[in-house]
Amino acid sequence: MPRVTFHHDGGSSEAFDIAAGMNLMRAAVTNGVRGIVGECGGQAMCATCHVYVREPYLRALPRPGEDENEMLDRVAAPRDPRRSRLGCQVTLDAVADEIEVDIPVSQT
Amino acid sequence: MTTTPDTAASTPPPTADWVDPLAMQRDPYDTYDRLRDLAPVVHVPALNRYLVTTSDACRAIESDQETYSARAGGAAATMVRALGGTPMLRRDDPDHATERGPVNPPLRPKRVREAWAPLFERNAETCLAALLEKGPDEADLDHDFAAPLAAYNLVDMLGLPMADPQDVRRWSHTFIEGIGNIQDDPDIWVRCDAAQREVDAVLDDLLPRLRAKPDGSITSALANAGLTDDQVRANVKLTISGGLNEPQHMTTTIVRALGDHPEQRELALSDPARWPAVFDEALRWCSPVGMYPRETTRPAVLEGFRLPAGAALGVVVAAANRDPSAFPRPADFDITRPRQPHLGFGSGVHRCAGHWAARIAVGEIAVPLLHQRIPTLRTDALRAGNWSGWVFRGLTDLPVTW
Repeated sequence: MPRVTFHHDGGSSEAFDIAAGMNLMRAAVTNGVRGIVGECGGQAMCATCHVYVREPYLRALPRPGEDENEMLDRVAAPRDPRRSRLGCQVTLDAVADEIEVDIPVSQT
Repeated sequence: MTTTPDTAASTPPPTADWVDPLAMQRDPYDTYDRLRDLAPVVHVPALNRYLVTTSDACRAIESDQETYSARAGGAAATMVRALGGTPMLRRDDPDHATERGPVNPPLRPKRVREAWAPLFERNAETCLAALLEKGPDEADLDHDFAAPLAAYNLVDMLGLPMADPQDVRRWSHTFIEGIGNIQDDPDIWVRCDAAQREVDAVLDDLLPRLRAKPDGSITSALANAGLTDDQVRANVKLTISGGLNEPQHMTTTIVRALGDHPEQRELALSDPARWPAVFDEALRWCSPVGMYPRETTRPAVLEGFRLPAGAALGVVVAAANRDPSAFPRPADFDITRPRQPHLGFGSGVHRCAGHWAARIAVGEIAVPLLHQRIPTLRTDALRAGNWSGWVFRGLTDLPVTW
């Protein structure tokens, strides 16, 4: 079962086993993870599910699509050219079955 | 924030038999406070539904469309009746996503800035000239600026150059009247039927042309997405409804709020980076869409209160946006609040598709332009404006002077 770890500013973290095919925004919102808002329900329309993917897990992910790339320009916290992603566009599956992300200090 | 049935720990929602819909029409905020003090969800016999008034409860509903369906039937089916078809806002995923997906690309912020913002600026200049022409003794910001501007902007975004903006205004107001017609007034349905026929006549001509030669408009995006004509028509009518009334109300609400709070007006005028916060706070403080319906698909427990299957719910985002547990001093208009999410555009998959367009057209272009060009713009104390409505709320007129 895929596993996601959310790291908060200040050092605490939360880890969850999630269903294959679930995206990180949904995983965060259903588990009540602070700091992920997900206002638009996963349509890449709001830029409030910003996460920084930790380096070792970047290679297994497909690159951001055009919509995600555009919305990443609108995130509230600074955009990292490599690590910034929208949680709603990152899905865990058999290939990328583990991930650790940092939650930015602000989403709005 | 559980929505799974746990009947042992839950109780039925309390009933509020004192709610007066006519009083809510004039000013709903006292009623909202009393309901919220009772419970997050309260049964309201006068409205034949449960009203949900806290921020947490509204968000819980919007994050679980399998339990809380947008396909609200019965007395909540006013939108389908008003528009003569089922738009995306009354569907759940995956059906909803099929119709929503095509309209997202033309409404993302980059496209809005590139394609629409120059038109929004031109339209704001046109309407400002008309307002100035009217003069400081007679000008009404609603009739002379906010309504025509919203109509011009909508005509451009929908790509309906053949439609008279006056007609678009009338269609929008008629559909909004119908969507809010939970009292089932037959005269309103007659007007809605007539407006549907007029919009259909425009689309009869337009849709084949857009399929032969797509453009960048929202109608073109819908027409070329493999949807049926009925789906396209229902969603164009939905866009006409929400795409005019809401930005119109936001424009007048902001000007009124800044007029009543001159110190905050000065703050915005001296630091233009504050305009987005002005828009956001006005949207929270007086949300133009006050309530929308949902229906339970199965027995559920909402914030500890037990709901049967098939329960008609009113998600009162206007009340949630004044929830003191989410917003300190909720009734105060204060553009210096720390930024935090609210429910003015809704939340989840049905979150307003036009939210970037509204922020940019109203919050970044029209309202700053008004205040820059007419630095002494203020509400005319001799000719007071009137607030009205709760399902949809805004000023019916706003006499201004300078």
